[in-house]
Amino acid sequence: MRLRYVATRVVASVLMALAATLVVFLIAHTVPADPILAQLGDKASANAELVARFRARWALDRPLWEQYAIFVGRLAQGDLGESIASRRPVLVDIGQYAPATIELATLAALLTLLVGVPLGVLAAVKRDGWLDHGARLACLVGVSAPTFWLAFIVLALFYGGLQIAPSPGRLDAGAVPPPHVTGLFLLDSLLARDWPTFRSALAHMLLPAAVLAASTLGLITRTTRAAMLDVLGQDYVRVARAKGLTEGGVVRGHAVPNALLPVVTLGGLAYAELLAGTVLTETIFSWPGLGRYTYQSAIALDFPAIMGVTLLVAVIYLAMNFVVDVSYSWLDPRVTR
Amino acid sequence: MKTVRLLVAFLVLAACASPVPAMAAAKTTLVLGVDISDTRTFDPARQFEYSPPITMRAAYETLVTMTPGDYVRVKPLLAKSWKLVDGGKAWQFQLREGVKFASGNPLTAEDVKFSFERLQNVKDQPADLTENLAAVEVVDPLTVKLVMVDKNQPLLNVLASITFAVVDSKTVQAQGGTSAKDAEKADKATAWLDAHSAGTGPYTLTSWVRNSEVVLERNKSYWRAPAAFERVVLRHSGDSAAQLLALRRSDIDAALNLTPDQLDGLAKEPSLRLVSGTSLDYMYMTLTGSAELNKALANRAARQAVAHAIDYDGIIKGLMGGHAIRPASFIPVGLGGSTEAFTREVGYRQDLAKAKKLLADAGVASGFTFKVSYGKASIAGTSYDLVAQKIQSDLARVGITAELDPLDQATLRTQYKEGKTQSVLTFWNPDAPDAYLWAQPAVGRVSKRVHWAVPKEVADLVTRAGGEADAAKQTALYREFQKILVDQANYVILIQPVYRVATSKAITGYALTAAGWQVDLYDVKPAK
Repeated sequence: MRLRYVATRVVASVLMALAATLVVFLIAHTVPADPILAQLGDKASANAELVARFRARWALDRPLWEQYAIFVGRLAQGDLGESIASRRPVLVDIGQYAPATIELATLAALLTLLVGVPLGVLAAVKRDGWLDHGARLACLVGVSAPTFWLAFIVLALFYGGLQIAPSPGRLDAGAVPPPHVTGLFLLDSLLARDWPTFRSALAHMLLPAAVLAASTLGLITRTTRAAMLDVLGQDYVRVARAKGLTEGGVVRGHAVPNALLPVVTLGGLAYAELLAGTVLTETIFSWPGLGRYTYQSAIALDFPAIMGVTLLVAVIYLAMNFVVDVSYSWLDPRVTR
Repeated sequence: MKTVRLLVAFLVLAACASPVPAMAAAKTTLVLGVDISDTRTFDPARQFEYSPPITMRAAYETLVTMTPGDYVRVKPLLAKSWKLVDGGKAWQFQLREGVKFASGNPLTAEDVKFSFERLQNVKDQPADLTENLAAVEVVDPLTVKLVMVDKNQPLLNVLASITFAVVDSKTVQAQGGTSAKDAEKADKATAWLDAHSAGTGPYTLTSWVRNSEVVLERNKSYWRAPAAFERVVLRHSGDSAAQLLALRRSDIDAALNLTPDQLDGLAKEPSLRLVSGTSLDYMYMTLTGSAELNKALANRAARQAVAHAIDYDGIIKGLMGGHAIRPASFIPVGLGGSTEAFTREVGYRQDLAKAKKLLADAGVASGFTFKVSYGKASIAGTSYDLVAQKIQSDLARVGITAELDPLDQATLRTQYKEGKTQSVLTFWNPDAPDAYLWAQPAVGRVSKRVHWAVPKEVADLVTRAGGEADAAKQTALYREFQKILVDQANYVILIQPVYRVATSKAITGYALTAAGWQVDLYDVKPAK
C-alpha cells in the first residue's frame, strides 16, 4: 500500500511540474515582445538574415505547440536548452546560481527555526508577559518592513556605520573561492579545510541571511505561539500537570512535540519560498543567486531560462511538500497508521 | 533546552566569523564597483553589451584608438602608422615592432587577419560592424591591408571599437578557435575567452564569475611600461546605495553607477573625487509620420509643434542637474560638426507661441492626443518616467495631450523596432564613434520605424558626407543634413548625458571616454 502511495505521489508530482511549465510557457508567450529583437542591438535587429538565424537557433520560428514539444523532448533527455541571454545551457546557469541561493536560504531557514520556534514557545508559555509583547513587536516589524528597505538599513548600519560586516558579495573582492565540489562555499571550504575562506563566506552570508530570516521569522514565531496556546489548553496537558510534572517537563515532553505539526508545514513552504530566490535581497547584497537570474530572465523574455527556473521552483515546492509529509509521520505516528 | 544550546553555539560561531573588517584594498589592487549584470561574454567576436568593454579594453588592444574628448581623429595603438592605398580602396597599417601577447607570442599581421576574419565568420552580432571590410591581406609580417567594400563608407574610425581587438591567433586556435568560413559552427573558443584573454593589453583576464566579479592581472610582457596595479577587480554591485557605502568604506576605489543625487552629495567629501565625461549617448523621442498610427503626427507641422513645446533646458537643468547637453538632431555633440553652439543656432527651443501657430497650420489648433511609450529604466540615474511626465506637462500648455505608456524593455524594443509606436522615449549608444553610424540609420532603419519616406537626395547627402575625406567639407554636409532632420521633426533629441564617476583619492588618472569602453584602466594609477 505504502509503495503504491509513494508511486502515485511521484507520478502526480511529475505531472504537476509539467503543468506548471505549460502554464508559464503560455503566459510568457502572451507578452507582445520578441526576445530576439529585445536582445539584439539596434543595428543587428535591422539585419533580417541575422534575426532569422537567431530565431531559428531557439526554434522561435516554429509554432507554439512545437516549441513546447521541443522543450518537453529535451527535458526528457535532461536538457533545459540554451539561454537566449547568457548563451549557455540553462542547466549550467542554474548550476552556478543555485548553490549561492541554497546556502543563503538554508542559513536563513536555520536562523528562523532556531530563533522563531523557541521564541514562539516562550511567548506562549509566558503569555502576555513582556517577552510575548516584545516577540509580537519584533514579528510585526519583520513581516511588515519592506525587504529592500530592511536590507539596505541593515547594510548601512553593520557595513557602512559600525563597520563590522564585510562587503556585499559572497567573498571579499578578488578572493579565490574554495575548490569547486558542491558550489556551496561553506561546505566546499570545510571540505578543503580552508578556515579563513569558511569564516569569510559565513561572515558575508550573515546579513543577507538575517534579512531573509526576518520576513519568515514572524510567521514561524506566531504560528508556534498559536499552536502552543492551543495545545496548552488540551486535556492531556492538564493531566500531565496534574501528574505533578514540572512546567518545563510539561512543555518539553507534551506541548512542544504536539505543537510542531503546523510549524513544520509552514516551515517547509517558507524554506521553498526562500529557495525560489529573493531578488531584492540578492540585488542589494550583490548575491549571485537564483533570484537575480530569474528576474534577468523574465525582463529579457529569455524563454528557456524562464522555463528552467519555473521547473526548478516547481520541483522545490513539490519536494518540500513531500519532506513535510514524511516528517509528519515521524513527528506524529498516527499519520502512518 | 537543546534548541537553545544550538542557538548559543550558532551565535558563538557567528561572533567569531563576523568581525573581519575588510582590509582597505592595498594599493596593488584596483577595485571598481560596477553593475556587470549585462555581461554575457568577453569574446571580441561575440560581445556587444555596455559594461564588458571596460574589461576588454584592459586585456585587448586595437590597431588604432581614441583619446577622451576627441572622437574624430584616431590615434596609433598597435599600428604606428597607416595610409590609404590602392586608389583609396584600402587602408594599409604598419604594425608596431616588439609587441607581444600575454602568452609571449609576438604580434604579427597574421594575428590581425585571423582576428578580423574570425569576427566576420563567427557571424554573431558584432560582425555587423565589419560590413565595409571586404578582405584582410597580409603584406608582410608587420604590414596588413584592409580592403574596403565601398571606399565612400567609413572604416578607419570603426576600427577603434573593441570589437576589432587583435587576438593571439595561436592561443585562440589552440583553444578551439577558427577564422574559417564555417566558424559560426566550428569555433569553440568562446568558453575559454570568457575566463581568459588572448590580447596584447596591459592586463589579462584571469577570472569571471557572472553577476559577481571580474579579475584581471598585470600582463608581465606588456610592450609599454607595465600596468600600475598587480590586479584589477570589477566588483559587481547592482544597487547604487550599496555601491556608495562600499566607496565610503574604501572597499572599492571607484563607483560607476551612482545617481545624480548621490554624486551631488559627494562633491564636498575630501577623500573622494568626481570625474566626468560627456558621452556620445543620448535619450531621444520619436514622432511617427504614419497617419495610420496617429493622424495628427503624420503632419509635419504638428510634429514641429511638439518639438517646440518641450522645455529642453528644464529637462537638462531640472532632471539632470545640468549634467547633460543636447545636439540639434541625430548626430551627437562631438561628431560630424555637431556642437552646442550649432544646437543653439538650428536646434529646437521652447517657443509656445510658435508651437500654437504650428498647431493651427496643421489644422489641429485645439491640440491633439498621442501616445508616448517608454521603458521602465533610467539613464544616468534619471528615469524615463520622469522625463515623460515633464514632457506631458510641457505639451499640455499648448493643448497637446501625451498619453504615457510605460512598458517593459523587451516589449518596448519589439514594438519600436517593428514600427508600431506613435512615439517612444528611448536611448542610443554607439557601436563605434563615427558620425556615419548615426546619420546612416537616421535615413535607414530608424527612419522606417518612424515611417519617414526618406527622399533620395537626403539619403545621397548622407552617403556623400560619409565618404568625404576633407574634414571641413564633411562637417558642412553633416550640418546640412541635421538641418533637414530638424525640419522633418521625426526625431527630438532630449539629453546627451555627462556621465560622472566617483573615485577615491587613492587613485589618479581615471578619465571617462565616450569611445565605447568607458575608461582606459591602463591610465589609472595609485596616487603618490
